[in-house]
Order: sequence, then C-alpha cells, then structure tokens
Amino acid sequence: MSTPARRRLMRDFKRLQEDPPTGVSGAPTDNNIMIWNAVIFGPHDTPFEDGTFKLTIEFTEEYPNKPPTVRFVSHMFHPNVYADGGICLDILQNRWSPTYDVSAILTSIQSLLSDPNPNSPANSMAAQLYKENRREYEKRVKACVEQSFID
Amino acid sequence: MGDVGQSTANTSNKEMTSNQDELILAQQRQIEKEISESIPLVGELEPVTSLSSEYSGDDIYLAKVNDLAAKYSSMRRTRPDGNCFFRAFTYATLERLLGNKEEFNSFYKLAENSKNVLVELGFQQFTLEDFYDTYMDVLKRLADIDNVDDARRELHTVFNEQGYSDYMVVYLRLLTSAQLQKEKDFYSCFIEGERTVADFCHQEVEPMYKDSDHIHIMAACSALNTGVRVLYMDRGTGNIVTQHDLPEGCTPTVHLLYRPSHYDILYV
Repeated sequence: MSTPARRRLMRDFKRLQEDPPTGVSGAPTDNNIMIWNAVIFGPHDTPFEDGTFKLTIEFTEEYPNKPPTVRFVSHMFHPNVYADGGICLDILQNRWSPTYDVSAILTSIQSLLSDPNPNSPANSMAAQLYKENRREYEKRVKACVEQSFID
Repeated sequence: MGDVGQSTANTSNKEMTSNQDELILAQQRQIEKEISESIPLVGELEPVTSLSSEYSGDDIYLAKVNDLAAKYSSMRRTRPDGNCFFRAFTYATLERLLGNKEEFNSFYKLAENSKNVLVELGFQQFTLEDFYDTYMDVLKRLADIDNVDDARRELHTVFNEQGYSDYMVVYLRLLTSAQLQKEKDFYSCFIEGERTVADFCHQEVEPMYKDSDHIHIMAACSALNTGVRVLYMDRGTGNIVTQHDLPEGCTPTVHLLYRPSHYDILYV
C-alpha cells in the first residue's frame, strides 16, 4: 500500500538517480523501500579521500516528518561517529526538516567527513586527536580508508 | 568499546560506551506514542466548561475557566505534539472559510500561487512539491463539497489522518518560514542571540514538533492573511484570561486558547 512515506521515498530515489550528487550514492534494498543502502566516497583533500564508506538508512512511516536512522556499516574513525556507526549530526536529530531528502542527508554526512565538529564528540578519542594531534588522527583515518576497500 | 584501547589518551569518557542520541530519541518516541494513543490530532467540539475537570481544587484556574466560558461556548482540543499551533490555526482557518465560498476561493488562489513564492525564496522545488501537492489536494477536496456540514466533516476526517494532517502542518510551517524570510528586517528584531532569520527558520520553524512562539504566530497570520485572538490562561494573578490580537488591531477570525506550551481552538 502506498503511504506518504513510501510515496516520498520513491520520489527521493527518482531524484537521486536523475540528479545524483557527486560522491554519494544510495538505493532501496531489493524487497524493502524503508531500508536503503548507501555509499559515501571520502571527499578529496581530506584524510578520508579514496575511501568507500557504506551506510544503511532506515526510514519509518513518519518520514519525512521525522529523520531516518543513518548508520555507517564501514568502520569509521571520526569525531562525530559512534563506535556502533551511529552519526551525531544535528540535521539527523533536533534540526531535521521535512524539506531534506536522501540526497541532502548523504551530502551533509559527506561534508561532516570534511568538517568534523570536535566539540560534540561521539568518539572522544577521535575528537581529541583531531584537536591535538592531527598527524595521528590522519593516520587512524587512513587505516579506515584502507579497511573500507576490504569491507 | 571505543576504537582500539591501547592509547595513552584519557579513556574515562563515557560517551563512547553508548549512543546517547539514540537512547534519548527512543525515549522521546515512547512518550510521543503514549500521547498519540490517547489524544486525537484534532478533537470533537466540547463545552469550554469541560476544562474545569482538569483543575478541580485549583482556584486560580477555575476562576479563569469561568471567565473563558463567559466569552466562549466551546472548544476543540489538539494533540500536544509541538505542532498544535500550526494544526489548530490551519484547521480553524479552513473550518471558517468553508462557510464562505468567496473567501475560500481567494484563499485557494493565494495557496495556488504560494509555491512560486517559496521557490523564488530558494526552497528546494523537489521536496516542496510533495507538500504543496498534498496541501492543494486537500483544499480541492474540500472545495468540491457543496454542503458546508459535509465539507467540515471531511476537514475533520482529513485532519485526523496523520499523513495528510502532518503534511498540512509542514506546508504552513514552510509558508511561515517564507514569510519570516521575506520580511527579515522586521522579524530579526524578535530573534534572540546571534542567529539570522534564515537560521531561525531552519531550526525553529521548518522542523516538525517545534513549539511556536509569538514570532511564529505573527508570521503565520500574515502568511494566511488571517487575524487571530489568543486567550492566555496561566497561573498569573487575577481572575480573568488575558487576550492578545495578532496582528495587533486586527479583527480576529480565529480564536485560540493558550495554556503554557499548548494551543487549542475556541468558538464564540
């Protein structure tokens, strides 16, 4: 049955195919439009460059009035990504707006990779290294990038 | 837990052990579920005096309920989900317009043109259309019903269907945001802190479930070209409910009851 959430997700998918943003991709899983797989490519000129990071996006029937749950499946080392892959990003929590779509979500996460916010850490080690020891931070991120090829 | 534990860095931080955001969200969802199971999005008409039962033994509130009952006969409760102002305001506006074909038609025309205004302001056309289409679809459905009572029944049904009802709220939130941004020089005086009007709109107006303040009401009124009278009932001194007309000096056509952080609809 078509619900507003499902109808909207079809539109989101159509737009993502017709007008794909650079460096991200996403699609519903084969048998369930409420669960998507996505990939974000590490942005150029950042330690995440060349990485291919996989994510899952889970929607509820309340989408787009409520944000989906987005999680990295690939192992990440980033100040705003929890150990379980959960992402601490304002637009996925209290600053969600129904005018965002999947494309906007993925590009926001992509820019979070370039510009971490170490003041609101989900991974305090990554936040600390990012602030105090950038070289070590980049080393740890590069390890994730290499692991992302194998995952 | 955490990422590789052999480092010398301070490992006493708690935030690595659990995903706090998700725990908070889960609890919020549970509370919302309880509210949504017990209170309809927009309720049936009931006498204003029904408020008394909520305040037995509370002299200040009971005196104010009496005062309110002298001014208004009935009310409709709305679900306290942070969208109550927008939902109550849209519902009450449409309910009244259904009794006046001419006014309804000019409201309809205003609505039809609103998409272009939003696109010009930089709203993303693709996501905007989803809400606009639903909003117009509802207005069309109502316009097609000749009998006023039937149309009002349909309005009530539509506003209690979560999908439609929430989309109506989203669209009014977008129109309100547009109004604020169009007149940002004026509204910026009402915004505290360093935020720009656009920031304020993205954070406090467009997201669902965010409570409304004076500034939201002022902008929503001018977006729908409608005057509203708000009756304030709180623990303040005195036996009467205070009232404010927005915009000031207007002839209000929508009447709302405000109790701390919640709006319901009032009927003379």
